[in-house]
Amino acid sequence: MLFVSCLAPILAGIFFRFAIPLLETTLTNCFQVEAALSTYYKLIDILFAMLTPDMFCFVSAMVALEERDEKTVAYLFITPLGKTGYLFARLGVPSAIAFLATVILLPVFKLTPLSAMSILLLAAGGTLQGMIASLLILAVSSNKLEGMAVAKLSGLVILGAAVPFFVRSNVQYLVSPLPSFWIGKAVLENRMPDMLPAFGLSVGWICVLLKWYLRPR
Amino acid sequence: MEEESMITVENLSFSYTKTPFISGMSFSVSKGEIFGFLGPSGAGKSTLQKILMGMLRTYQGSCLVNGTECKNRTKHFYEEIGVDFEFSTMYEKLTAKENLRFFSSLYEKKPHSADELLKMVGLERDADKRVADYSKGMKSRLNFIKALLHDPLLLCLDEPTSGLDPTNSRVMKNVILEEKARGKTILLTTHNMQDAAELCDREAFIVNGKICALDSPHHLIMSKGAAAVTYTWLENGEQSASCPLGQVSSDERLKSLIAENRLRSIHSSEPTLNDIFMDITGRTLL
Repeated sequence: MLFVSCLAPILAGIFFRFAIPLLETTLTNCFQVEAALSTYYKLIDILFAMLTPDMFCFVSAMVALEERDEKTVAYLFITPLGKTGYLFARLGVPSAIAFLATVILLPVFKLTPLSAMSILLLAAGGTLQGMIASLLILAVSSNKLEGMAVAKLSGLVILGAAVPFFVRSNVQYLVSPLPSFWIGKAVLENRMPDMLPAFGLSVGWICVLLKWYLRPR
Repeated sequence: MEEESMITVENLSFSYTKTPFISGMSFSVSKGEIFGFLGPSGAGKSTLQKILMGMLRTYQGSCLVNGTECKNRTKHFYEEIGVDFEFSTMYEKLTAKENLRFFSSLYEKKPHSADELLKMVGLERDADKRVADYSKGMKSRLNFIKALLHDPLLLCLDEPTSGLDPTNSRVMKNVILEEKARGKTILLTTHNMQDAAELCDREAFIVNGKICALDSPHHLIMSKGAAAVTYTWLENGEQSASCPLGQVSSDERLKSLIAENRLRSIHSSEPTLNDIFMDITGRTLL
């Protein structure tokens, strides 16, 4: 089941790449408008860049929660693997794989022209969002059941990217603590350096969530 | 000459909140010794073990394990420590053999043969069975041999015989004694006074985060009311009397009853560790 989740980005990519342009043609013909969905193609690319790491990190978080349920993690922490090795295996490795997968899949399934640098930045930003979602699940939930519920809520982490597309006034800055907001804003305004706050905020979120996860229980 | 220490704890204090949970604790454990922690639930035994395992590092005082200050431990620290938690820490979906193979891969040291370890605790026929299908006792035995996989110098065993039938309990205790004979240092946390008395060289009674008593089981028993001799005889019905074991030669009545062959019964009785624990701490172990 968890393995199938890792294939979800490919299925979503096929849908985004082929079904959405088809839907766009149908909608523009039907309603006699110049653009229907194409206005949001950039947003779809951002969401795809975040979906792949989100899925990989979700799978990893579920495995980690199962290890907590089975109390295996308590033992792993007192082996030479330790907390650092465990976090590297359960967070670092899936994130690295997710980054590579995004770098490979995004050029295949993107709907807008994206430079190589933009793809790398989006993949890095998306991976950081995946790590945040994963740590949020691990820090907040104490078992797999709670983890499933928190996983659904953790989707909100990436929704900040949509806000600049729909809210043009300064009200949009209400969600500025979410790193994904800055990713959305940078892509929308074609100013990739504007993504920098997203990286800074992501590191901050990851540090806070790590400390929360590693608190003595 | 002083024996070489595996564990040296000096003036150890720790707290989860502002209230001290462990305070001013000092003791040492020699290499090759079986050292028991006895105490009721919530006394601080698990916290102390977590500190000794390097899991809680915000303590005050000094806590040296195998020459390493626990708060400064590195990953190599765990090469020489084997832990058997009271609960199963196995991957339920894997078989016993797969679990042992995986956990041994985490250590640099060459592991013991999984087959030999499984055989040692009578699990050789269930080696390829998923742990989820194991009974509580089987899981307990598997958990125990996992701690021996990498042949560590220090073994921390938490209720190793809990949930075992008398036969398997005996097997486990024999393995523990064999490990001691091989020079291993063993920390034993238990509620089982019989196990503690049988296995431990020394025991520490822990209550409210403090060590109330620390000695060998024999000395603890002898220090609090030595063994007594109780005897009965017939004289206007059955009469009985007691005298300390060390004073039988000065008990004139006993001497004359023996000389006249009038004793109906005679037996010695020692206080149990449980009696001693209650006497010292004013609490029961449960």
